Amino acid sequence: MKRKKNKKKFNSNSISPILMLLPSTLMLIVCSIYPFIWIFRYVTYNYNGFTATYTGSANFTRMLSDKQFWGSVGTTFEYAALKLIFIIPLALFVAVLLNMKMRGSGLFRGVIFMPTIISTSISGMIFTFLFATKNGILNAYLQNLHIISQPIKWLTSPNVIMAAVTILAVWGGLGNYMLYFSTGMNGISEDCYESAKIDGANAFQTFFYVTLPMLAPVLKTVLMLAITSAFKDYEAIMVLSKGGPGNRSMVMFLYIYNVIFGSGNGSQQQIGYGALLSVVAALIVGVVTIIYLFIARKLDHITE
Amino acid sequence: MKKKVLSTVLASAMALSLAACGSSADTAATTDATQATATEAASDTAAVDTGDKIVIEVWSEDRHDEDYVRQMIDKFNEENTDNIYVNLTTITEDYQNMINLAYTGGTAPDIVGANGLPLNTFADTGIIIPLNEYIDADEEFQKVNEPYEHAYEGKNYKDGNIYFVYSGLRSGVRVEYNKDLLEQNGYTSIPNNLTDYVEMAKTITANGNGDYYGIGFTSSSPFERLLEMSAQVSGVFYYDYVNGKFDFSGYKPFLEKGQELVAAAYPDQQGVDNMRALFTEQQFTLWSNASQEVGVFTNQLPITDFEWGVAEVPSLDGEIKGALQTTPNKAYGIISTSQHKDEAWKVIQYFQSEEFLKGYFEGGYDLPISTYMDSVIDKSKMGRLSDFSLLSYESVYPEPPTINLQGDNYRTVLWNAVMGYVDIDEAIEDLNTRYNEALDADVASGSCTRLVIKDYDPLHPSMGTAEYLTE
Repeated sequence: MKRKKNKKKFNSNSISPILMLLPSTLMLIVCSIYPFIWIFRYVTYNYNGFTATYTGSANFTRMLSDKQFWGSVGTTFEYAALKLIFIIPLALFVAVLLNMKMRGSGLFRGVIFMPTIISTSISGMIFTFLFATKNGILNAYLQNLHIISQPIKWLTSPNVIMAAVTILAVWGGLGNYMLYFSTGMNGISEDCYESAKIDGANAFQTFFYVTLPMLAPVLKTVLMLAITSAFKDYEAIMVLSKGGPGNRSMVMFLYIYNVIFGSGNGSQQQIGYGALLSVVAALIVGVVTIIYLFIARKLDHITE
Repeated sequence: MKKKVLSTVLASAMALSLAACGSSADTAATTDATQATATEAASDTAAVDTGDKIVIEVWSEDRHDEDYVRQMIDKFNEENTDNIYVNLTTITEDYQNMINLAYTGGTAPDIVGANGLPLNTFADTGIIIPLNEYIDADEEFQKVNEPYEHAYEGKNYKDGNIYFVYSGLRSGVRVEYNKDLLEQNGYTSIPNNLTDYVEMAKTITANGNGDYYGIGFTSSSPFERLLEMSAQVSGVFYYDYVNGKFDFSGYKPFLEKGQELVAAAYPDQQGVDNMRALFTEQQFTLWSNASQEVGVFTNQLPITDFEWGVAEVPSLDGEIKGALQTTPNKAYGIISTSQHKDEAWKVIQYFQSEEFLKGYFEGGYDLPISTYMDSVIDKSKMGRLSDFSLLSYESVYPEPPTINLQGDNYRTVLWNAVMGYVDIDEAIEDLNTRYNEALDADVASGSCTRLVIKDYDPLHPSMGTAEYLTE
């Protein structure tokens, strides 16, 4: 009897949500889950897009000893750390400034957001001109301001390439994170600021004891998005430095791209090995995200 | 209730629209190749009534010569008596995958332009067919194209089968130089040895004092545009054909010279077009690239402010001990699924006929590969392309095995050594290890074979007898 009742409940109330969920679920299966499973077929093969040769565990042992891949994993961590260290505080700072309701903040917001709508490959190309050693605008400014005496080899020196890559990443992503924070701040009730004001809190105290704690849920999500996207970035680097000089800026996904699409010169498309590397890379990003979520959960407890 | 009905209808509508999207996406995936150019093709077929003619679909990846080729095809369509109508489709993006996709989807054309189709993926898999029978039965074709003289192991020829015949070629690398700047610095010609060449670049850079430099390098595969070719003409090649293994040891002196060159070079290494533009702006004196520079320096970025010259690539000690690599092109293959192979061959006969090729070469689109065509054309009509005419020591190297390499390819690593990012000896050792390990593994797994040419001669690399070993 009880069972029958449940069934009836399912029929009448659940049909429309199921129908509603169906399109996006199908889309997810077709566009995300199926391709992900598809790549598993080839992890034990040498596959160049035309012929596949079974190689057993060769790809796996090769991955373990692939110095360049693990080097690129290291570079990815370095890049993500550099990007996040600069972009998150800067975006927060800019968002706070622009939330002060001063004249022209809308214009500034627009200007800062602008890079987000430019394609990453185009911005990569523009920055190759800005970073040029001779006739580059950045070097010209720095020399005119007497900050440097000799032009910096932004793109050909392994010592400074990560700085160049980080500058591009921060420039390209700042507007986006600023917008997230700014939207989060709009959700904070005016009452909180008023009572802080009555209690005599100064601007710093208001920021650290009102804005920041109230922004915690937004910050948590934004950080998670920032971490995953930083680990997956490669397009701009591909255009700016091609992972060079000497692989100094070769990030994980750029390396995988090169493996899958082939770098020419006697080496061919290695879809099988690339598939294995993508699975490993996905695992790395997943583990980092889980660790972050674990830490962030603990941080939530502290703020409570 | 009303709400529920509405939401159900809405959800169904969404599901339906998704299904619609899905089906169109499916078609897009399978017939992508044809769709991309269907509009182009449609415009042609719509204008001419093909009636009951046999339509031969031709795919080409060459855009630069399209005007001439289309004009000749129109002529053929009007004049041929075999009831054939040729429909040309130009695909410049992702060409090889497009063919593969169309082949598996059953929509492949009859003829494909085969400039650089790799045999291991197109011939070994049976996508294109051997043309020996057609060639052997056609003396005129043999006279014009000399197919067996220009059959290159692993490139268009394998196990006695010839899959496509080259009509043209892109020259090997030459040094292009700014004559005015060279003369200003007291030089009249390009030295034939690398030591003097390096000294010249250094002197010009020193004299230029930051206003101009001796030499420029691009960021796009810079190693192959000078040093690798200098090594080739000095008898150094990365694959040891006699022993069937990779060997990078011979590159050391070239890398050391390269380090000196880079120290004297224009400070930035940008994309090829940027560097070409800087050359035309007289920012540096020496540049090196193959015959495609003719079109660039006469049309794309025309040089008008100074005289530019063309010279041979210097060898290590001035002596020529090896062949300079050229890139043969302008070839056509027949797809195995074609229903009209004989008619397709007739179209290829026309594309590679004296009449078609004479206008093609005289139009400056390419250099002739056959001695016959070379003797027939009026070179005065070719413009600066005649500066890039075939040298006596230019040839095509047999294709070394295509391997599943781990890590960077040799051009990247050797250039990293030139730039000082890695030690020269370490770079060479690393390449010898990685390339040979990958070769051994691939030969063992059966994904490639080991090419051995016992009677290999570096000055005539294509003349030896090739063996493909499975161990």
